[in-house]
Amino acid sequence: MTEGPKMVTVTINKSQYRAEEGETMLSVAMRNGIDIPHLCYEESLDPYGACRLCMVDHVTCGKRTMMTACTMRAKEGLEIMTDTPEIVKYRSTLFELYLSQAPKSDVIKKMAARYGVTKTRFLKKIVHDDPLGGKCILCGLCVRVCDEIMGGSAIGFINRGPSTVVNTPFFDENPACLGCGTCAKVCPTHAIEIEDQGDTRVMKSWSGTRIKLQECPDCGQYFVPKAMLEEIQSIPDPGIIDELKTLCPACRAKEIAKSVFKSTFQGSVYHG
Amino acid sequence: MTGFVGPIETPEDLSKVREIGLSKLLNRPRIAVGLSTCGIAVGGERLFARLKEIISSGGYNIALVRVGCIGFCKEEPIVNITIPGKPLVILHQVSENDAEAIVNAVLKGGVPDEKVLCKVSSWDHITRTIIYGTGFEQIPDYHDIPFFSRQTKVILRDAGFINPEDIDEYIAVGGYQAFVSAVSSRTPEEVIDIVKQSDLRGRGGAGFPAGLKWEITREAKGHLKYIVCNADEGDPGAYMNRNEMESDPHMLIEGLLIGAYAIGTSDALIYIRAEYPLAIERLRKAIDQAREYGLVGENILGTGFSCDIQLATGAGAFVCGESTALAASIEGKTGRPRPRPPRLTDKGIWGRPTDLNNVETFCNVPVILTRGAEWYRGIGAKGNTGTKVFSLVGKVENVGMVEVPLGTTLDTIVSEIGNGGAGGKSVKAVQTGGPSGGCIPARLFDTPVDFEHLNEAGSMMGSGGIVVMDEDTNMVDIARYFINFATSESCGKCVPCREGLKHTLLILNKVMAGKGTAADLEMLESLSDTIQATSLCGLGQTAPNPVLTTLKYFREEYEALISEGT
Ligand SMILES: Cc1cc2nc3c(=O)[nH]c(=O)nc-3n(C[C@H](O)[C@H](O)[C@H](O)COP(=O)(O)O)c2cc1C
Ligand code: SF4
Ligand code: SF4
Ligand code: FES
Repeated sequence: MTEGPKMVTVTINKSQYRAEEGETMLSVAMRNGIDIPHLCYEESLDPYGACRLCMVDHVTCGKRTMMTACTMRAKEGLEIMTDTPEIVKYRSTLFELYLSQAPKSDVIKKMAARYGVTKTRFLKKIVHDDPLGGKCILCGLCVRVCDEIMGGSAIGFINRGPSTVVNTPFFDENPACLGCGTCAKVCPTHAIEIEDQGDTRVMKSWSGTRIKLQECPDCGQYFVPKAMLEEIQSIPDPGIIDELKTLCPACRAKEIAKSVFKSTFQGSVYHG
Repeated sequence: MTGFVGPIETPEDLSKVREIGLSKLLNRPRIAVGLSTCGIAVGGERLFARLKEIISSGGYNIALVRVGCIGFCKEEPIVNITIPGKPLVILHQVSENDAEAIVNAVLKGGVPDEKVLCKVSSWDHITRTIIYGTGFEQIPDYHDIPFFSRQTKVILRDAGFINPEDIDEYIAVGGYQAFVSAVSSRTPEEVIDIVKQSDLRGRGGAGFPAGLKWEITREAKGHLKYIVCNADEGDPGAYMNRNEMESDPHMLIEGLLIGAYAIGTSDALIYIRAEYPLAIERLRKAIDQAREYGLVGENILGTGFSCDIQLATGAGAFVCGESTALAASIEGKTGRPRPRPPRLTDKGIWGRPTDLNNVETFCNVPVILTRGAEWYRGIGAKGNTGTKVFSLVGKVENVGMVEVPLGTTLDTIVSEIGNGGAGGKSVKAVQTGGPSGGCIPARLFDTPVDFEHLNEAGSMMGSGGIVVMDEDTNMVDIARYFINFATSESCGKCVPCREGLKHTLLILNKVMAGKGTAADLEMLESLSDTIQATSLCGLGQTAPNPVLTTLKYFREEYEALISEGT
């Protein structure tokens, strides 16, 4: 018998829940349908604690301390409150700051509105030709997945304080970029723009970095950055047989279906 | 430079070095020029070169050495003269034009009267008293000078007296004795216990009990650990740590070695900002000399304890003083803080348990071990034991490095030691604790300077900068100055600090331009509150203090700017 994770009981807003010991309180809350706003959390990365939206009240012996739920680990008897008047007050000001920082982001507008914040008292930030379209809130997720998951380190933070931005080093095209688009997928505000133009993928937000795409030998569609495909092919056992390696996902699925069909009907293929 | 050959292997060897060092200090006429950064800034090097030229061309039997800063920065360049058997005499505001007169006087066994500040007949180096001699009745005593008489020198006991580039002189005044007796006759637990008994609190700002931090690191899991000295010192107006390292680098090294022995590691690191080239140079020399003497390195004194000290230089970002950012910076990453827990003592540099202490924290340790915890607890106040070094700067008459027992009032520091506002102006407020501190108005100058009382007043100890403001200072402008600093030094990671401070600055600019409204003041308050409560690291959590305290104590200045504008 293998030993499972240790289960503990935690309290959120006066109700009790089961949780794995060491799991983040944000994930416990989310799993149980308790809404805590958050922007910089991604399950596959270490907690980062930058957006400060997931702050909750940690209750111990009647005393309360504010802490971020994404960095707080479940343990037996832990108690938090997610919507105390204090939390609501601070969270609202944070949302106002977000609205002023990323005035073009509909995601932020919607999220803020869900918590009752529709206007900001602060001056809105307007940057002409912002490669991130006035939507970036510097949550750091794109930088972190690129570095920690894709191993690309193609983008990073430039400057500091209020002049911080995310981009490629020296705002130059960066050959280290695989063109995988993972950054755009994790971006909570959909700030990152990528455009495929024929055989080329243009990372519009990342200084227009251009990446050649691979054409599918079957259907002729451009479907994956060449560099990435090479990287996958260089893995000793990618789990795909050679003939299928270069196909686009759609054609690959077709081929797999065909061969499964073939083997099931022992070669007597019925063309219908 | 050093006078002893081979490693120090026994306490007797240490005594031999001490004799060599003492002879350097006392046995022949000696001219010592204060050459820390402050002395150099006002022409100390030119003076030194001139003295050297005169002495060597005349072939005179006079020792000429560089020493650190005695603290009276306003009176630099400071020179002290020792003639065997006579008191040490301190000269002030010396220029290269005085070099001839100094040498001539020394050759005749005297001093140039017109440059004399005071004399020192004997000096308590805490670990060893040196008796210089008697005579020079007409010269005022050190203790007759108000700037000095209200101070208690524990950390700065050697500063300005010994040559920081000569380990023999440090050993002459009792240096390395605490370390040698700790490694040869005390267990690490005993050492930790003494430090705990002394109630020494960290001098980097937060005031965490030093002995307790050592114990936690000692007990942390993992046999590979680090001990790190935080010599980042980024607060504007603060230069205590720089001075401590420039004036007495061995004191820090000795404290660090004792710490390494106590927590059980052979890896020690000093993280120092690259803007401190002289401190770096003197530390390097000091580490080399200590290594030559076998006090740093493998199998120290044959005890089986080994310890190496490395220097890591940082590019000088204020936030790199924050512990987790400092660890990231040492690992070669951008200095950005990460959430705690885990604390450094659990997971520090390269994931290893790490003890991090301020320069001055380490500097306290040798003395505590030599004199004992009880003696140490007798200085300062309960829960705030020992002394603290402050850099007294701004619009104050006596600018300099001031060391007083914790619990001394601000008034003693500003009015008695500092002699009030520069040029006879009246003092309006002080800012303690650098950008994270607050402004304390003159009417609260009976506040004792300790961790708790400063917090109560809305300010902080910080690392010990005291910036004095006089009647001409506009407090809104002061708030704006510090917020501007904090905004540009924010690492940019979290939104309350990065964006919140930016908007605070914008509002302050608006108020200063006479375009503010009452609503702006409310906004300043609520924004400051949010930044404090929700920022990730200490920078953001404390940055609004200058705004909050000026709003609290000098609200009328904000209001004046507002009504003028409408
Ligand atoms: C923004 C920021 C800057 C800091 N700068 C310094 C510094 O320059 N030197 C220092 O010793 N501590 C600094 N600290 C405090 C350190 O993080 C840490 O608490 C201290 O070095 C611990 O040593 P101690 O226990 O001996 O005080 C800073 C903290 C923050 C939040
Ligand atoms: S671009 Fe998106 S993912 Fe990257 S920092 Fe900005 S908001 Fe976060
Ligand atoms: S408080 Fe400021 S310095 Fe600290 S992590 Fe946040 S942005 Fe960075
Ligand atoms: S999700 Fe917790 S701080 Fe961003």
